[in-house]
Amino acid sequence: MSLRVISMDAMGRFVASSRSEYRVVGPKPLHGQYIFGDVESPDDLHLNYTQTVIPPKKYLFPQREELLRFKSGDGEIEPVFDAPPTILLGLHTCDLHAIRLLDRVFSSGHVDQHYRRRRDNTLVISIECLRPCSRHSFCKSMGTLSATDAFDLHLTDLGAEYTVDVGSEAGEALLAKHAKTRRATDDDYQRLNTALAQKWPHFPYRLDFDVSELPSLMRTSYNSPLWKDLGERCLACGSCTNVCPTCYCFNVQDEVDFALSAGRRVRIWDSCQLDEFATIAGGHNFRKTRAERQRHRFLRKGQYQTDAFGLLGCVGCGRCAQACLAHITPVDTFNTLHHERSGGAARPKGGAA
Amino acid sequence: MSRPKVAFFDFTSCEGCQLTVVDTLQTHPELLDAVEIVQFREAMTEKGEDYQIAFVEGSCARKSDEERLARIRQQAQIVVALGACAHLGGINAIRNRLPLEAVVNCVYNENGDWSETHPYGRPRLSDRLINVEPTAKPIEAIITVDAILPGCPIDREEFARVTRQLLQGSQPRVPDYPLCVECKFKENVCLFQRGQVCLGPVIRAGCGAICPTYGESCEGCRGPISNPNMDSMQSVLAEAGLTADDLLSRFSMFGTYQMMKLE
Repeated sequence: MSLRVISMDAMGRFVASSRSEYRVVGPKPLHGQYIFGDVESPDDLHLNYTQTVIPPKKYLFPQREELLRFKSGDGEIEPVFDAPPTILLGLHTCDLHAIRLLDRVFSSGHVDQHYRRRRDNTLVISIECLRPCSRHSFCKSMGTLSATDAFDLHLTDLGAEYTVDVGSEAGEALLAKHAKTRRATDDDYQRLNTALAQKWPHFPYRLDFDVSELPSLMRTSYNSPLWKDLGERCLACGSCTNVCPTCYCFNVQDEVDFALSAGRRVRIWDSCQLDEFATIAGGHNFRKTRAERQRHRFLRKGQYQTDAFGLLGCVGCGRCAQACLAHITPVDTFNTLHHERSGGAARPKGGAA
Repeated sequence: MSRPKVAFFDFTSCEGCQLTVVDTLQTHPELLDAVEIVQFREAMTEKGEDYQIAFVEGSCARKSDEERLARIRQQAQIVVALGACAHLGGINAIRNRLPLEAVVNCVYNENGDWSETHPYGRPRLSDRLINVEPTAKPIEAIITVDAILPGCPIDREEFARVTRQLLQGSQPRVPDYPLCVECKFKENVCLFQRGQVCLGPVIRAGCGAICPTYGESCEGCRGPISNPNMDSMQSVLAEAGLTADDLLSRFSMFGTYQMMKLE
């Protein structure tokens, strides 16, 4: 829409002012790592962070969420919505791409009202990544190193100032009400272009093939011997999916009170990597082995999501590779499959410095 | 609705799990409206023998325990193992690897017979060991157990949830996936990343990863998940400079009984 410029100081005042209307969450340091948490003052702003443990999806799709309350006597059912007006501040572009996918998933077919309510009450302010955040990230290979259309405002750090790309009317209104900005000049455009041009060489391509080939690669890799190897290494701990910005599987449980007269229905994050995930009534488990579950995970990332929603299920953030004690990484997995298909040898990169 | 009658029993244990139950009654007093407690030595004097649900804390460590457990099983419709000692054998089972004499010496040392509690001390009761079983066992080794509440001690919220599920008439379920799930939910720093070693990847979740949350590694009080990947766990430990023996010695705190069964 338009490009504005905001100073670092004005950015702090913008956060302070927005807090009168919104819960503002952004990256914060915790024990040497970063997590998304409440930004309570401008001093809490750490927009030059590396990567958070869990992606910001936890504000749109919480780990544990009450869906409804019921009474057993008269059968009364009340939906529960807890969707405070929220600003997600400082999202990296991988996480922005992930939200774009979640938007499609939760809004297609049977619309998820709980996700939708939160999303509609959320403004997303993303930030351009100028340096790689982790040795495991491979956003450039996945095409997620630039912003996509899911943002309301998008920042680029120019040193003493940020440019602010306005992506929506809601974003524009937020700026107008809470921030002191100025219209970008030709010089600002020039500085922005320079910053963007300079950033790309800092990011390595880590896939040995073009990402547009990924869905077709996965389609022919169902019987690869690689899955057995991954199955032998996988601890089935679910860390990969719990830190994944695009994973959204959940379990639904009813919790009743001691008098058995009323209760609540909650959903909690689940993981396709856990033993019991695909166990159905009668006790049959249709993905019993860790190998089958890892295969399922990677096929979802590389093929199923594209088939169903037109977007890849992996945004290249590398969080799963960082979290995996057994060093199972998407880069190594995808490259190994590529080289199996093309006859070459894969060069391990997933754990490379 | 009539309130189910509930009894609590203690075998060889520190009674910390029953204390957690007492705690739970304070934070969830409505539980007292839902059940009728007829026997609970930790909290009351009466001893009713008419009960439907028995919560059993402690491992079976004395010869007379077997008969008592059998009587409980005969009376109760539902028996719940309360805590690591009853569920796994737990800390009591560490002594299973040693002859009883060596255990006595280890606890009291060689000159410890001045102590009144010393099995051979004053008053000299040389037959005191007669009632001690050479092997401390989980109660499951003696009787059928319908539900477990793992942990050392049990988790208060899990006790409340399992009790509600029993009242509902459904099979109580406790997590059967690794602790890492709950640790990641909390965005803790992985202890392996800090150069520490943790049993989390093969131990049952449900405690909210309380030890790693406070920077201590998981010692496995909730027991292994049903399908742990021990080979991969060994590779993870090898990377941290530890061997299979190091892993097993960590397991031995709560899992000696299970380890000896596999040997």
